Amino acid sequence: MQVTLKIFRYNPEEDKKPHYESYKLEAEPTDRVLDLLEYVKSYHDGTLSFRRSCAHGVCGSDAMRINGLNRLACKVLIKELSAKKITIEPILGMQVIKDLIVDMEPFFENYRVVMPYFVNDEPPPKRERLQSQEQRERFDDTTKCILCASCTTSCPSFWANEKYLGPAAIVTAHRFIFDSRDRAGAERLKRLNDAFGVYRCHTIFNCTVACPREIEVTRAIGEVKKAIATGKID
Amino acid sequence: MALKRSVGLKGLRYRGGGPMLAWSLHRISGLLIIIFVGTHVLASFFMQQTASDLGTNLNIIYESLYFQILIYFVVMFHGLNGLRILILDTWPQLLEYQREVTWLQWLVFIPVYGLTVFIMIQHAASSG
Repeated sequence: MQVTLKIFRYNPEEDKKPHYESYKLEAEPTDRVLDLLEYVKSYHDGTLSFRRSCAHGVCGSDAMRINGLNRLACKVLIKELSAKKITIEPILGMQVIKDLIVDMEPFFENYRVVMPYFVNDEPPPKRERLQSQEQRERFDDTTKCILCASCTTSCPSFWANEKYLGPAAIVTAHRFIFDSRDRAGAERLKRLNDAFGVYRCHTIFNCTVACPREIEVTRAIGEVKKAIATGKID
Repeated sequence: MALKRSVGLKGLRYRGGGPMLAWSLHRISGLLIIIFVGTHVLASFFMQQTASDLGTNLNIIYESLYFQILIYFVVMFHGLNGLRILILDTWPQLLEYQREVTWLQWLVFIPVYGLTVFIMIQHAASSG
Protein backbone atom coordinates (compact mmCIF):
# COMPACT_ATOMS: atom_id res chain seq x y z
CA MET A 1 0.00 0.00 0.00
CA GLN A 2 1.08 3.55 -0.63
CA VAL A 3 1.08 6.04 2.24
CA THR A 4 1.90 9.72 2.43
CA LEU A 5 3.98 10.81 5.39
CA LYS A 6 3.49 14.49 6.21
CA ILE A 7 6.28 15.44 8.60
CA PHE A 8 6.80 18.59 10.66
CA ARG A 9 10.18 20.05 9.71
CA TYR A 10 12.21 22.76 11.40
CA ASN A 11 15.91 23.38 11.00
CA PRO A 12 17.03 26.15 13.39
CA GLU A 13 20.03 26.96 11.16
CA GLU A 14 17.97 27.55 8.02
CA ASP A 15 14.29 28.02 8.83
CA LYS A 16 12.60 30.99 10.43
CA LYS A 17 9.33 29.09 10.65
CA PRO A 18 8.52 25.39 10.73
CA HIS A 19 6.93 23.77 7.69
CA TYR A 20 5.65 20.37 6.62
CA GLU A 21 7.15 18.06 4.02
CA SER A 22 5.37 15.11 2.44
CA TYR A 23 6.90 11.83 1.35
CA LYS A 24 5.13 9.11 -0.61
CA LEU A 25 6.22 5.65 0.43
CA GLU A 26 5.37 2.02 -0.16
CA ALA A 27 4.51 0.43 3.17
CA GLU A 28 3.25 -2.86 4.54
CA PRO A 29 0.25 -2.69 6.89
CA THR A 30 2.44 -4.28 9.55
CA ASP A 31 5.17 -1.63 9.24
CA ARG A 32 5.55 0.69 12.19
CA VAL A 33 5.61 4.47 11.88
CA LEU A 34 9.23 4.34 13.07
CA ASP A 35 10.10 2.07 10.11
CA LEU A 36 8.73 4.70 7.73
CA LEU A 37 10.65 7.48 9.46
CA GLU A 38 13.84 5.42 9.19
CA TYR A 39 13.08 4.87 5.49
CA VAL A 40 12.63 8.60 4.87
CA LYS A 41 15.88 9.33 6.70
CA SER A 42 17.77 6.64 4.79
CA TYR A 43 16.42 7.16 1.27
CA HIS A 44 14.78 10.61 1.02
CA ASP A 45 16.31 13.10 3.42
CA GLY A 46 19.18 12.29 5.75
CA THR A 47 18.69 15.54 7.63
CA LEU A 48 15.37 14.39 9.13
CA SER A 49 15.89 14.32 12.89
CA PHE A 50 14.02 12.29 15.48
CA ARG A 51 14.87 10.42 18.66
CA ARG A 52 14.83 6.63 18.78
CA SER A 53 16.71 4.04 20.73
CA CYS A 54 15.38 0.59 21.56
CA ALA A 55 12.58 0.72 18.96
CA HIS A 56 10.54 -1.71 21.04
CA GLY A 57 8.41 0.53 23.26
CA VAL A 58 10.70 0.32 26.26
CA CYS A 59 13.04 3.32 26.17
CA GLY A 60 10.36 5.95 25.47
CA SER A 61 12.55 8.00 23.12
CA ASP A 62 10.26 8.27 20.12
CA ALA A 63 7.11 9.85 21.54
CA MET A 64 5.55 12.11 18.91
CA ARG A 65 2.17 13.26 17.68
CA ILE A 66 0.96 10.78 15.09
CA ASN A 67 -2.23 11.88 13.35
CA GLY A 68 -2.78 14.36 16.17
CA LEU A 69 -2.30 12.08 19.18
CA ASN A 70 0.76 11.33 21.31
CA ARG A 71 2.09 7.87 20.59
CA LEU A 72 5.36 5.97 20.37
CA ALA A 73 6.42 5.69 16.71
CA CYS A 74 7.84 2.22 17.41
CA LYS A 75 4.53 0.88 18.71
CA VAL A 76 2.09 2.18 16.10
CA LEU A 77 1.44 -0.04 13.08
CA ILE A 78 0.31 1.53 9.81
CA LYS A 79 -2.82 -0.64 9.75
CA GLU A 80 -3.86 0.75 13.14
CA LEU A 81 -4.01 4.28 11.77
CA SER A 82 -6.59 3.40 9.09
CA ALA A 83 -5.45 6.39 7.03
CA LYS A 84 -3.18 6.63 4.00
CA LYS A 85 -2.01 10.07 5.03
CA ILE A 86 -0.04 10.12 8.26
CA THR A 87 0.85 13.41 9.90
CA ILE A 88 3.82 13.35 12.26
CA GLU A 89 4.58 16.27 14.56
CA PRO A 90 6.65 16.81 17.72
CA ILE A 91 4.97 16.50 21.12
CA LEU A 92 3.23 19.67 22.28
CA GLY A 93 4.25 22.16 24.93
CA MET A 94 8.03 21.78 24.53
CA GLN A 95 10.58 23.83 22.61
CA VAL A 96 11.41 22.21 19.27
CA ILE A 97 15.16 21.80 18.80
CA LYS A 98 15.00 20.28 15.32
CA ASP A 99 12.24 18.51 13.36
CA LEU A 100 10.71 16.01 15.81
CA ILE A 101 13.25 16.54 18.58
CA VAL A 102 12.10 18.64 21.53
CA ASP A 103 13.94 20.01 24.55
CA MET A 104 13.08 17.55 27.32
CA GLU A 105 14.86 19.50 30.08
CA PRO A 106 11.71 21.21 31.53
CA PHE A 107 10.13 17.75 31.72
CA PHE A 108 13.07 16.27 33.62
CA GLU A 109 13.32 19.36 35.81
CA ASN A 110 9.74 18.70 36.96
CA TYR A 111 10.54 15.01 37.32
CA ARG A 112 13.44 15.72 39.68
CA VAL A 113 11.19 17.76 42.00
CA VAL A 114 9.38 14.62 43.23
CA MET A 115 12.62 12.89 44.32
CA PRO A 116 12.44 10.02 41.82
CA TYR A 117 14.53 7.64 43.86
CA PHE A 118 14.16 5.28 46.80
CA VAL A 119 14.71 6.89 50.22
CA ASN A 120 15.20 4.89 53.40
CA ASP A 121 17.85 5.83 55.95
CA GLU A 122 17.05 2.95 58.29
CA PRO A 123 19.88 0.40 58.56
CA PRO A 124 19.34 -2.23 55.88
CA PRO A 125 18.50 -5.77 57.02
CA LYS A 126 20.95 -8.58 56.38
CA ARG A 127 19.05 -9.59 53.27
CA GLU A 128 16.56 -7.58 51.18
CA ARG A 129 13.84 -5.24 52.53
CA LEU A 130 10.88 -7.57 52.50
CA GLN A 131 7.52 -6.65 50.99
CA SER A 132 4.31 -8.64 50.73
CA GLN A 133 2.65 -9.29 47.37
CA GLU A 134 -0.17 -6.91 48.34
CA GLN A 135 2.29 -4.14 49.24
CA ARG A 136 4.04 -4.57 45.86
CA GLU A 137 0.73 -4.68 44.03
CA ARG A 138 -0.22 -1.29 45.50
CA PHE A 139 2.15 0.62 43.20
CA ASP A 140 2.69 -1.94 40.44
CA ASP A 141 0.89 0.10 37.77
CA THR A 142 3.07 3.18 38.20
CA THR A 143 6.35 1.22 37.99
CA LYS A 144 5.68 0.82 34.27
CA CYS A 145 6.45 4.45 33.37
CA ILE A 146 9.17 4.85 30.71
CA LEU A 147 9.38 8.68 30.86
CA CYS A 148 8.37 9.15 27.23
CA ALA A 149 6.48 12.36 28.18
CA SER A 150 3.40 11.34 26.17
CA CYS A 151 1.17 11.97 29.19
CA THR A 152 2.65 15.28 30.29
CA THR A 153 2.65 16.73 26.78
CA SER A 154 -0.99 15.75 26.23
CA CYS A 155 -2.12 17.57 29.38
CA PRO A 156 -3.89 20.95 28.91
CA SER A 157 -2.78 22.07 32.37
CA PHE A 158 0.85 21.52 31.33
CA TRP A 159 0.27 23.31 28.02
CA ALA A 160 -1.10 26.24 30.00
CA ASN A 161 1.89 26.36 32.34
CA GLU A 162 5.05 24.28 32.05
CA LYS A 163 5.74 24.74 35.76
CA TYR A 164 2.92 22.26 36.45
CA LEU A 165 4.78 19.12 37.48
CA GLY A 166 2.71 17.08 35.07
CA PRO A 167 1.37 13.54 35.03
CA ALA A 168 4.70 11.74 34.52
CA ALA A 169 6.29 13.32 37.60
CA ILE A 170 3.19 12.56 39.68
CA VAL A 171 3.13 8.96 38.44
CA THR A 172 6.77 8.60 39.55
CA ALA A 173 5.95 10.17 42.91
CA HIS A 174 3.05 7.68 43.27
CA ARG A 175 5.46 4.80 42.58
CA PHE A 176 7.55 5.78 45.64
CA ILE A 177 4.86 7.25 47.92
CA PHE A 178 2.93 3.96 47.97
CA ASP A 179 6.06 1.79 48.26
CA SER A 180 5.96 0.36 51.80
CA ARG A 181 9.80 0.40 51.99
CA ASP A 182 10.19 4.10 51.16
CA ARG A 183 10.34 6.73 53.91
CA ALA A 184 10.10 10.03 51.99
CA GLY A 185 6.38 9.89 51.18
CA ALA A 186 5.54 12.85 53.42
CA GLU A 187 8.18 15.05 51.77
CA ARG A 188 6.97 14.11 48.29
CA LEU A 189 3.35 14.83 49.25
CA LYS A 190 4.45 18.22 50.59
CA ARG A 191 6.12 19.03 47.27
CA LEU A 192 3.07 17.89 45.34
CA ASN A 193 0.72 19.96 47.50
CA ASP A 194 1.90 23.09 45.73
CA ALA A 195 0.36 25.66 43.39
CA PHE A 196 1.94 23.74 40.51
CA GLY A 197 1.33 20.33 42.04
CA VAL A 198 -1.45 17.76 41.79
CA TYR A 199 -4.40 20.14 42.02
CA ARG A 200 -3.70 21.46 38.51
CA CYS A 201 -5.12 18.13 37.31
CA HIS A 202 -8.72 18.67 36.20
CA THR A 203 -9.30 15.04 35.17
CA ILE A 204 -9.24 15.58 31.40
CA PHE A 205 -7.93 12.01 30.92
CA ASN A 206 -5.71 12.90 27.93
CA CYS A 207 -2.78 11.43 29.88
CA THR A 208 -4.46 8.08 30.44
CA VAL A 209 -5.36 7.82 26.76
CA ALA A 210 -1.85 8.85 25.66
CA CYS A 211 0.12 6.48 27.90
CA PRO A 212 1.74 3.78 25.70
CA ARG A 213 2.19 1.61 28.81
CA GLU A 214 -1.51 1.79 29.65
CA ILE A 215 -0.88 3.19 33.12
CA GLU A 216 -4.02 4.54 34.78
CA VAL A 217 -2.40 7.94 35.11
CA THR A 218 -5.43 9.96 36.21
CA ARG A 219 -6.24 7.38 38.85
CA ALA A 220 -2.67 7.57 40.21
CA ILE A 221 -2.96 11.37 40.37
CA GLY A 222 -6.32 10.97 42.15
CA GLU A 223 -4.75 8.66 44.73
CA VAL A 224 -1.97 11.16 45.40
CA LYS A 225 -4.55 13.96 45.78
CA LYS A 226 -6.44 11.83 48.29
CA ALA A 227 -3.25 11.04 50.22
CA ILE A 228 -2.52 14.77 50.48
CA ALA A 229 -6.07 15.58 51.58
CA THR A 230 -6.34 12.81 54.18
CA GLY A 231 -2.68 12.64 55.22
CA LYS A 232 -2.91 8.87 54.94
CA ILE A 233 -0.96 6.58 52.64
CA ASP A 234 -2.91 3.36 52.36
CA MET B 1 17.76 28.52 18.05
CA ALA B 2 15.05 26.24 19.35
CA LEU B 3 11.50 26.95 18.30
CA LYS B 4 9.60 28.65 21.11
CA ARG B 5 7.05 26.73 23.13
CA SER B 6 3.67 27.25 21.49
CA VAL B 7 0.47 25.26 21.87
CA GLY B 8 -2.49 27.50 20.96
CA LEU B 9 -5.24 25.98 18.86
CA LYS B 10 -3.25 22.77 18.41
CA GLY B 11 -4.14 22.02 22.03
CA LEU B 12 -7.86 22.46 21.41
CA ARG B 13 -7.63 20.14 18.41
CA TYR B 14 -5.52 17.55 20.25
CA ARG B 15 -8.31 15.31 21.41
CA GLY B 16 -11.15 17.75 21.80
CA GLY B 17 -14.47 16.49 23.08
CA GLY B 18 -16.23 16.97 26.40
CA PRO B 19 -13.23 16.87 28.76
CA MET B 20 -11.31 19.50 26.76
CA LEU B 21 -14.45 21.66 26.53
CA ALA B 22 -14.93 21.37 30.30
CA TRP B 23 -11.28 22.28 30.94
CA SER B 24 -11.45 25.32 28.62
CA LEU B 25 -14.79 26.50 30.00
CA HIS B 26 -13.57 26.07 33.57
CA ARG B 27 -10.62 28.40 32.96
CA ILE B 28 -12.63 30.93 30.95
CA SER B 29 -15.46 30.97 33.50
CA GLY B 30 -12.95 31.37 36.35
CA LEU B 31 -11.47 34.41 34.63
CA LEU B 32 -14.93 35.86 33.91
CA ILE B 33 -15.98 35.43 37.56
CA ILE B 34 -12.94 37.47 38.64
CA ILE B 35 -13.85 40.17 36.09
CA PHE B 36 -17.53 40.19 37.15
CA VAL B 37 -16.73 40.44 40.86
CA GLY B 38 -14.11 43.11 40.14
CA THR B 39 -16.61 45.12 38.08
CA HIS B 40 -19.19 44.80 40.83
CA VAL B 41 -16.77 46.06 43.50
CA LEU B 42 -15.69 48.89 41.19
CA ALA B 43 -19.33 49.90 40.52
CA SER B 44 -20.07 49.97 44.28
CA PHE B 45 -16.96 52.07 44.87
CA PHE B 46 -17.91 54.64 42.23
CA MET B 47 -21.52 54.75 43.45
CA GLN B 48 -20.58 55.37 47.06
CA GLN B 49 -17.34 57.32 46.89
CA THR B 50 -17.55 59.51 43.80
CA ALA B 51 -20.14 61.66 42.16
CA SER B 52 -19.47 60.27 38.66
CA ASP B 53 -22.05 58.30 36.63
CA LEU B 54 -19.58 55.48 36.05
CA GLY B 55 -20.97 53.37 38.89
CA THR B 56 -24.56 53.78 37.66
CA ASN B 57 -23.55 52.90 34.10
CA LEU B 58 -21.64 49.84 35.26
CA ASN B 59 -24.67 48.73 37.26
CA ILE B 60 -26.96 49.19 34.24
CA ILE B 61 -24.72 46.82 32.25
CA TYR B 62 -24.35 44.48 35.23
CA GLU B 63 -28.07 44.20 35.83
CA SER B 64 -29.09 43.79 32.17
CA LEU B 65 -30.82 40.54 31.28
CA TYR B 66 -28.12 39.38 28.82
CA PHE B 67 -25.40 40.00 31.37
CA GLN B 68 -27.32 38.16 34.09
CA ILE B 69 -27.85 35.16 31.79
CA LEU B 70 -24.11 35.09 31.04
CA ILE B 71 -23.11 35.46 34.70
CA TYR B 72 -25.48 32.69 35.68
CA PHE B 73 -23.97 30.38 33.03
CA VAL B 74 -20.42 31.15 34.12
CA VAL B 75 -21.02 30.77 37.86
CA MET B 76 -23.13 27.66 37.57
CA PHE B 77 -20.81 25.90 35.13
CA HIS B 78 -17.72 26.76 37.19
CA GLY B 79 -19.40 25.60 40.40
CA LEU B 80 -20.70 22.33 38.99
CA ASN B 81 -17.48 21.46 37.19
CA GLY B 82 -15.51 22.27 40.34
CA LEU B 83 -17.84 20.01 42.29
CA ARG B 84 -17.26 17.19 39.77
CA ILE B 85 -13.48 17.58 40.15
CA LEU B 86 -13.81 17.67 43.96
CA ILE B 87 -15.89 14.49 43.99
CA LEU B 88 -13.38 12.68 41.74
CA ASP B 89 -10.51 13.95 43.91
CA THR B 90 -12.19 12.67 47.06
CA TRP B 91 -13.13 9.27 45.66
CA PRO B 92 -10.48 8.34 43.06
CA GLN B 93 -12.22 5.00 42.55
CA LEU B 94 -15.00 6.95 40.78
CA LEU B 95 -12.50 7.95 38.07
CA GLU B 96 -13.45 4.70 36.38
CA TYR B 97 -16.86 6.28 35.74
CA GLN B 98 -15.57 9.74 34.77
CA ARG B 99 -17.48 9.69 31.46
CA GLU B 100 -20.75 9.02 33.33
CA VAL B 101 -19.90 11.68 35.92
CA THR B 102 -19.32 14.23 33.13
CA TRP B 103 -22.66 13.33 31.55
CA LEU B 104 -24.32 13.66 34.95
CA GLN B 105 -22.83 17.13 35.31
CA TRP B 106 -24.41 18.21 32.00
CA LEU B 107 -27.67 16.41 32.90
CA VAL B 108 -27.91 18.58 36.02
CA PHE B 109 -26.65 21.75 34.32
CA ILE B 110 -28.85 21.88 31.22
CA PRO B 111 -32.34 21.63 32.83
CA VAL B 112 -31.48 23.80 35.86
CA TYR B 113 -29.82 26.47 33.71
CA GLY B 114 -32.51 26.30 31.03
CA LEU B 115 -35.35 26.58 33.54
CA THR B 116 -33.75 29.52 35.35
CA VAL B 117 -33.08 31.39 32.09
CA PHE B 118 -36.68 30.74 31.04
CA ILE B 119 -37.96 32.21 34.34
CA MET B 120 -35.59 35.20 34.00
CA ILE B 121 -36.79 35.94 30.46
CA GLN B 122 -40.42 35.45 31.45
CA HIS B 123 -39.99 37.80 34.41
CA ALA B 124 -38.26 40.43 32.25
CA ALA B 125 -41.02 40.21 29.62
CA SER B 126 -43.84 40.51 32.16
CA SER B 127 -42.25 43.48 33.94
CA GLY B 128 -41.96 45.27 30.60
